[in-house]
Amino acid sequence: MLNEQQSGSDEITSILRDMREEYWRGVTETEESRGEALECVTFVIGGESYAFETAMAAEVIRIPKLVRLPKVPEVIRGVFNLRGDITAAVDIRRLLGLSASELTPAARIIVVKAKKFMTGLVVEGVKGVEPLPVDCFEPAPRSLGGQREFIRGQFALESGMVMLLDIEKILESPEIIINMAE
Amino acid sequence: MEIFVREADEHLTSLQGGLLALEKEPDNKGLIHELLRNAHTLKGAARMLGFEEISVIAHGMEDLLKAMEDGERAVDAGAVDLLLKGTDAVTRMVTALVNGSDAGVDLDQLLRAFAGEELDEESVAQPEPALVREDGLGDTVRVKVKTLDSLINRMGELIISRKRFEEKSSQFKELARTAASRELQEFHRALEEDVLYLNYLVQELYLDAMALRMLPLRTITEGFGRMVRDLAREQGKNVDLKVAGDQIELDRILIENLKPVFLHLLRNSVDHGIETVDERLVQGKLARATISISARYEGSSVRIDVRDDGRGIDPHKVRQIAIAKGVIDKEQAEVMGDEEALYLVFEPGFSTREFITDISGRGVGMDVVKRNIERVKGNLLLRSEVGSHTEITMHLPLTLSVVEALLLLSGSEQFAIPLNYVQETVKLMRGDIVSVGGKEAIHIRGATVPLVSLAELLGLPERKSLLETGRIEAVILKFREQSLACVIDKSLGSSEIVVKGLGEQLKSVRFVSGATILGDGSPALILNVPDLFVHAEGGEAAFGRMLEEGGVRKVKGRVLVVDDSITTRTMERSILITHGYDVEIAVSGEDALTKVRGAQFDLVISDIEMPGINGFELTSRLRGMDAFREVPVIIVSSLSSDADKRRALEVGAQAYIVKGSFEQGTLLDTVEALIG
Repeated sequence: MLNEQQSGSDEITSILRDMREEYWRGVTETEESRGEALECVTFVIGGESYAFETAMAAEVIRIPKLVRLPKVPEVIRGVFNLRGDITAAVDIRRLLGLSASELTPAARIIVVKAKKFMTGLVVEGVKGVEPLPVDCFEPAPRSLGGQREFIRGQFALESGMVMLLDIEKILESPEIIINMAE
Repeated sequence: MEIFVREADEHLTSLQGGLLALEKEPDNKGLIHELLRNAHTLKGAARMLGFEEISVIAHGMEDLLKAMEDGERAVDAGAVDLLLKGTDAVTRMVTALVNGSDAGVDLDQLLRAFAGEELDEESVAQPEPALVREDGLGDTVRVKVKTLDSLINRMGELIISRKRFEEKSSQFKELARTAASRELQEFHRALEEDVLYLNYLVQELYLDAMALRMLPLRTITEGFGRMVRDLAREQGKNVDLKVAGDQIELDRILIENLKPVFLHLLRNSVDHGIETVDERLVQGKLARATISISARYEGSSVRIDVRDDGRGIDPHKVRQIAIAKGVIDKEQAEVMGDEEALYLVFEPGFSTREFITDISGRGVGMDVVKRNIERVKGNLLLRSEVGSHTEITMHLPLTLSVVEALLLLSGSEQFAIPLNYVQETVKLMRGDIVSVGGKEAIHIRGATVPLVSLAELLGLPERKSLLETGRIEAVILKFREQSLACVIDKSLGSSEIVVKGLGEQLKSVRFVSGATILGDGSPALILNVPDLFVHAEGGEAAFGRMLEEGGVRKVKGRVLVVDDSITTRTMERSILITHGYDVEIAVSGEDALTKVRGAQFDLVISDIEMPGINGFELTSRLRGMDAFREVPVIIVSSLSSDADKRRALEVGAQAYIVKGSFEQGTLLDTVEALIG
């Protein structure tokens, strides 16, 4: 009984997903006539705008109670309960060498799925989900220095610069993995 | 009949276990008597219900046992064998009763054997242990672990939601009181009863849900003693199986994966590891070999050792076979160390006649062992010494296990410590702390135990007012033969917790072996006690000095003063500060509510008449907050009517001081009476 409902809702989910994909295909196609766009979630860290592909984000949540882990690098802010699973909150600002100011109520966690785990990225605020025009994309300037490693480039938009994070590289970076046994 | 089946099952289990024990201690008359009683009761019960055949066998067993008790018959392997066969026969007959099938027991032959004739090996079919349990009583269902996981997670959500419901109910109580409506108050009383009942149900449901997923290791090890014994006897070997720690509960999925692992390891041990009695005697070993299974919690895992004192595994031989089988080539074999070579026995292509284990006609290699352990994300270690022993150690994850743990507060965070590491918690006074070689320690139960600060060890900020009560609390941890006293903020009592892993991102975090989810939905870390012992160096936390100084100028407590009049609040503040209290000021009810967020106060002093949130409302709101439910509130006001005083007590204030009669003494006395 329950399983039937489950598979029923799975079916609905998959139909919805197909519809959504079709819709985005439509949108991209129309935009292709004007130029390609990259569907991104945009947010603020270190007071500036950053983005990565929406497909990599699972959900956005308010900052829950974070429990600190003893003696771990500051990039791991703590762990939280994500529907029963213990999940780490990563302060990517530390990874990018940005200043880490106090979090305000606008701060959020963007939950992303890495190959082997789910993790939460702490951001100062989420601006939204929007297509970013590829026309405006340019490689990361050399002036970025240390954080350049995790940045694929930037979108020079009318509203300002938006950095495109290399989220896959961040998720594979050894800095966010804690393995003290070695 | 159902009752008979259950009773028979009990007696048969006792007989089986008892007989195996009897073989080890043949002179145990008490045991023989106990077995006699089992056989006798079984006979009686069967006869009463007309199960003549069962009754006859039980009678034969009873006679034989009686002869043993009277010393007329030797308690030897042959006799025990016969009794075990009788037990098997009855087991099958009982199963046949349940299923309505044919037991396939050659009664005549069995009875002739009891009468003293040689038993034909083929006449009694091969025993299948635990037949009754698996096939006879079909009162279990299979459930997907995923469904159970989701059930447990939802239970957590339910508990959180219940807590909110409780809070709403007590807010409603205040509303009803404020509105002075009898109807609403009665409604609240009814609601409160429902909430209580709901609480009870949720609690029970939670325990049931937890129990659903866990099984003791015993569930699979119970039949092993018999299996090992029979296997060994078939091969003219004498093997004793010892099991320790089988009460440890593991997740069903672990248990299911472990069963074939154990079967293979034990079978392999008996077949290849254990020598024949003659060989053992020649080598100066005990004729009776021992295989032991021992399980225990260790750090972040359950550790299970399977050890035999047989001939061990010869790495040279393993290399030769591996080369012959094409598992590795000569060059690889040459660079491979002995220890590494042993692990070749787990390689899929390695299985040879010598290492194949044959269970119910299927030949399966030892690679099953490795594969199953890996499937449950466990770790496998193999150690062996030629001529001495073989030991296989499995580290299995705790991911889904349940442990009894002590919950405690340290550095303002909640932690859990598995109870098997906890000796006790103690409250220490100045005199309890001694200095040993410049480091602090305490004397407890005749031992000197080093004293360290848990918060400091974990790198957490120490709680400021450790000494409010004039004592500090410590938990005494034990690990192997050592003890360690860790100063904590507060012990929160013990509780059964579900242990969760930290996942692939946090593979190994110092001091932490996992986490659990508390009733309010927030996580709490489970401390890795062996780690604490390794790193608990230099206990120079200077608690003795702190307690010493505490007597001279101790911070008595932290007080929040709420008043919109600058004169009143400044006066109150200076009185309190001169007398050793730490004071924080709030200029309005709203300001007070902001200041209490995330902070701890030991006492609140508030005015009533303030713009916005007044003193009554503030008090009532504080009572609704978890952290402030128990914190005393003193109302200081110029309102002096009895109605106001009553109202103050109703919303939860502890004391009421009228500003007109306000003197330094009154305030101080009241504060001291409440928080010392």
